[in-house]
Amino acid sequence: MRARAQWFSLQELAAEAGLPARTIRFYIARGLALPPAGAGRGAAYSREHLARLQAIKRLQAQGLMLADIARRLGGEAAETRLPEPDAWWSYPLQGDVVVWVRAGLSPWRTRKVRAVLAEMASRLAAIDEQEEKAKGDGDY
Amino acid sequence: MPVAAATGKEIQLAMQRLWLAGRLLPVGARLLVYHSFRSSEKKALEVIYAFGLPRDAALRRFRVTGEGFSARSELRPVEEAVRAYEEGLEQGHLAALAREYGDGLVNLTVGNIRPGETVTVALEILAGVEAHEEGLRFRFPFTLAPCYHRQARAAEVSAGFGEIELPEEEFGDLILPRFAADATHLHEVGFDLRVKMPGGVSEVGSPSHTLRVLQEDDASSRVQLGAGRDVPDRDLVLDVRARDGLAGVLIGLDHEGRGRFAALVPSRAFGERSEAPRQVVFVLDRSGSMEGAPIQQARRALEACLGALAASDRFGVVAFDDRVEEFRRSLVEGTAESRREARAFLSGIGARGGTELAAGISRAAAMLGRAGGDILVLTDGQVYATEEILKTARTTGVRLHCLGIGSASQDRFLALLARETGGVSRFLTPRERVDLAAVDLFASIGRPVAAGLEVAVEGIAGGRIAPDPPQAVFAGTPVILFGEADGAGGGSLALRWDGGNTSMPLHIVPSDLGETLRLLQGARLITDLESRWTGIEEPGAVARREEQRVDRRLEALSQAYGLASRRMALVAVVERVGDQPGELPKTQVVAVGMPQDTRFDAYFGVPQPTACMARAPVGGGALSSLSALARPARALFSRLQATPQPMMQAGPADMLMKMEAGAAEEPLELEPSAADTLLELAARIEPDGGMPGATEEERVQATILALLAFLAEGHTERSGAFRSHVARLVAYLDTVTHVHPVVGGIVALARQGRPLEGDWARQSPGPAFWARLEETLREGEQHA
Repeated sequence: MRARAQWFSLQELAAEAGLPARTIRFYIARGLALPPAGAGRGAAYSREHLARLQAIKRLQAQGLMLADIARRLGGEAAETRLPEPDAWWSYPLQGDVVVWVRAGLSPWRTRKVRAVLAEMASRLAAIDEQEEKAKGDGDY
Repeated sequence: MPVAAATGKEIQLAMQRLWLAGRLLPVGARLLVYHSFRSSEKKALEVIYAFGLPRDAALRRFRVTGEGFSARSELRPVEEAVRAYEEGLEQGHLAALAREYGDGLVNLTVGNIRPGETVTVALEILAGVEAHEEGLRFRFPFTLAPCYHRQARAAEVSAGFGEIELPEEEFGDLILPRFAADATHLHEVGFDLRVKMPGGVSEVGSPSHTLRVLQEDDASSRVQLGAGRDVPDRDLVLDVRARDGLAGVLIGLDHEGRGRFAALVPSRAFGERSEAPRQVVFVLDRSGSMEGAPIQQARRALEACLGALAASDRFGVVAFDDRVEEFRRSLVEGTAESRREARAFLSGIGARGGTELAAGISRAAAMLGRAGGDILVLTDGQVYATEEILKTARTTGVRLHCLGIGSASQDRFLALLARETGGVSRFLTPRERVDLAAVDLFASIGRPVAAGLEVAVEGIAGGRIAPDPPQAVFAGTPVILFGEADGAGGGSLALRWDGGNTSMPLHIVPSDLGETLRLLQGARLITDLESRWTGIEEPGAVARREEQRVDRRLEALSQAYGLASRRMALVAVVERVGDQPGELPKTQVVAVGMPQDTRFDAYFGVPQPTACMARAPVGGGALSSLSALARPARALFSRLQATPQPMMQAGPADMLMKMEAGAAEEPLELEPSAADTLLELAARIEPDGGMPGATEEERVQATILALLAFLAEGHTERSGAFRSHVARLVAYLDTVTHVHPVVGGIVALARQGRPLEGDWARQSPGPAFWARLEETLREGEQHA
């Protein structure tokens, strides 16, 4: 059963969404939330606007940043419903070993991950060296 | 003109200019900050400018002006002010809101700026200063420091621009600016200030900006930005030297006729430093934001402080980022061996992770245990949720002293951290000699010149001091006292402390300072009270009641002084012909420059991954800078250890300068200056106060050379950053006067603080040493 269409003013939308009006304006300017239907006195926000704001809050709680959320939800310019690409860094540690790390981690997490990768890389390099030596000693 | 990467269109700055004006007094500043906003949008514009308050600061009011209008702000409870702003905006009016959040952060929001229009907001701010015996340091933030929070999210959102987002439950709707790696295309900043010291200004300098200084009259100078224009990538730091030192009482009557005063009591007015053994834990911030000059400076500072420890002192070292590492689990004695080991521990500390300052402080406090002691924190202070940290610090019951290092101010927070725990603080830029300041600060720590201080106003009706005076007084940091009385009158300020007392005359008469003194006191009281407000919903009825109590007190203070706080905000709404109700303005946030000396990638962006991680990448990237940081320090000290009798062939200074030349590339190239030499010497003083050497005679000679080097640079037992070290060298020589008759003469010379002619830095111990020394002493006496 379809809900009846309901129109909110910005203040009402803010109250429903539990977000300050200024924040909603900020999101709209960033292309994160949808601009109102109509303009001037006639401008109004619908349940769709509310749903969008609630989705933003949900994704924020999951740890995403606004820029990522904008891409995920599709900004004003989004015409198609393509799934948003995730950004990953690839670390080719060896010719046959590649490690993928999600981009956009906090700098502190990034440093920890890189420290572990450095360890991994040096251990792989050590294995290589051993194998090279073994090869030199005789049949491998 | 900067160009938006996405659209290729030019970015127009919503805020064109930030200009600082006002007056600087010995006890604080009364400032007017002009923000010029301009809209190049086709529809209405809303601009948000985020900034941090200076130390002990509060907003008073603002005036918003434009073509054909000028309106003053009103002070209202926060919810009311926000409602008034939103309703004004909804009606199409121009509206402005200045609202303070936690951590001393402010959002100035101006909405419905019309296309092509310029609107100026002149915001009045009261601020405190960092007082020293000879003058003061004033700091004003032209940019914001990005900070660490466990739940903060930070990322580079477009090329060279980073954003930080904070959890809404804790920080509300605070909006932080974008941080630009390159500040050259941001708004213009400048300043024009009047500096007024009662005895006159002898010198004004700045480690941050070029200045033009004009002497106006005997008591005041005018200080302007020397260059044409400047960018928002660092604080303004002004150092003012007062001709008669910083001491005396400022007086006046406020607008209601009440007496107002502010007294500056120099530390030398109190007793002598106690020489009791100390328990100190050094807490070093090694978070990623410290990378580069800050951590280099901090480590050098720590090493120099280790040199000031006596064998009877006990110390600990804690290094923290988002993890805490300790040199040893508990305090150790200041022996040569433990100091050597501590240095080795430090040389392996490079900058890396987040900033869990509270954890570092807690571990240090645990180390000190029930006996208590002092903690010296070396940090850039770049953390959010400072009120939580302050709460932790207060509960430890130990004194925290802070040495802040940074080009963007966390001065407000670190000043509070020290003051709330009974300690002292200094805040420096990373381009200064942090190590010297640390040594100076450390000489006073653990040795108050007065404890249990109480102050009363006598002879004037209604005279009282607020806030309470500090419990302990330390050499080098004067005491600032604010107070009031029913009206004009004559009396005195009576100061009493454990084992001593003094009094200062107090004559309150009308002057043009009355209102300013009242407002500065208000700003200080509000800052102190706000440091107790965490803004988080604490569980438990007791905690909630306490928060409500703080809320009510804060509102009452705001009302009484007419100053904004976290509970009361400033708002203005301007109705104009042609206002369009219901139009949604476009919201833009003003960008600020990444503070100089904080690396952009310490918070934003990811260094390029390299093909092979096994070898440290050449140039750039966190891994390579780590090893670069560690290398020079290790080289210097391992060489010192490798040559057990370094004093044999060369003089101490000579030897060390040779070593420094051989040490690997230091990212911060400093010419070995006299101060560098003194620091190296200071770091090598043995726990018994003498310099190292193979035999006693060699030690005595080396100690005399070191002492003469300090004296030559003006450091004596009582004055100068190295006074602790000089005192220890002299005390050692006093015990070895039997080694040679001339030693006694040197001790006497040092006690008088007199330097000895000659280039002693180039001399070395050896058989000819005594003869040369005797001769020079004799010549000196002949000329005396």
